[in-house]
Amino acid sequence: MNDRKHTSDADDQMLIEHFRQHASGEPPASLDAFILAAAQREAPPPTPSLWQRWLQACQRPRWQMAFATVAGVALMVGLVLRSPVLHDELAAPASMEFSADQQESAAVAPPAMPAPAPITRMAPQGELARAPASPMQSLAEKPAAKMSKSAPAALPSLEQGLLEILRLREAGESKAADEKLLALHKRFPEEDLPARLEALRKR
Amino acid sequence: MPAALDSPSDEALLARYRNGDGASFEALYARHRQGLYRFLVSLSNKAELAEEIFQDTWLSLIRSTTQPQGRASFRTWLFQIARNRLIDHWRKHSVHNPLHDSYDEQLHVQPDDTSSPEQQLSLSRDQARLDAALQALPEDQREVFLLRLHGDLELPQIAALTGAPLETVKSRLRYAQQKLHRLLAEEVPA
Repeated sequence: MNDRKHTSDADDQMLIEHFRQHASGEPPASLDAFILAAAQREAPPPTPSLWQRWLQACQRPRWQMAFATVAGVALMVGLVLRSPVLHDELAAPASMEFSADQQESAAVAPPAMPAPAPITRMAPQGELARAPASPMQSLAEKPAAKMSKSAPAALPSLEQGLLEILRLREAGESKAADEKLLALHKRFPEEDLPARLEALRKR
Repeated sequence: MPAALDSPSDEALLARYRNGDGASFEALYARHRQGLYRFLVSLSNKAELAEEIFQDTWLSLIRSTTQPQGRASFRTWLFQIARNRLIDHWRKHSVHNPLHDSYDEQLHVQPDDTSSPEQQLSLSRDQARLDAALQALPEDQREVFLLRLHGDLELPQIAALTGAPLETVKSRLRYAQQKLHRLLAEEVPA
């Protein structure tokens, strides 16, 4: 039965092929031309690629403004983030809370704390050193002043130390005065302490 | 005819044309113009009507934005558009639609005594006789045979296109082929 069905299918396929071989008839050339022309005429416009669409959008004034605004904002943000920030402002933000009085008292305080302000440590000693040489130095002194305020025992300046020694000597406490002088000499080994004492005493 | 493996499918060509590639339509048209035209000429048996329906079918496809739906192939879709256009024409001109005739194959079936290979080789090659044999078929059998012949459609596709059950399509094709064998058989000289 399968053989008979197979033979029948083969015969049917042969019949189809027989008709295909002898089939004729073509659409007229004018009909072909008409249909192809209609297809070309009514073909939808080519869809632009993503890149082309982006370029077209950039050419519109609306989008030009938008892109320019975004670019400007991005540039400003970049500049702000890359601008140098003063170390002291970051290290001691509380200095902004300083009142004028506090700043004055801080300026009088001796530059004894070496850590936060290297400019202070390198500045010349004495009364002249207390005046800030520049706004930067003034800013650098702020954290030192704040810290000296909170320090339990602030060390006296060279001038104050020398005055204290003179006062002790005048009071007859020469031993205490010598100890002070020794301590000052340790702190300021390069200073000619006897000469400065003498000058101060004469003044 | 199935497309070559390295060539794009009909559906891909149609999609490209919908995206603005005019050359894809030319390739699609070249593939199907002959089969569709011959199908319409044989089914309507009028060259002028076939040309009109042929043109309407392609213009409809050009102006449509839809694609073949579901599992239907482009070829099935194209032949279905053409068939519907032809039926619309018959309705519009109050012509009796022969495709809607119910035909009892059992009443017209005749014994097929031409199934031997020797007799297959003796089928008539006369074009007029081939055409006459086709026109002698009942309309629904002729339609199924022409869809198989010129559309190269499988039986399930023909069933989906005509809306007829698959078994009915199978029997129509079988009876059509038997009748064609009978009508085209020639006596083989001894």
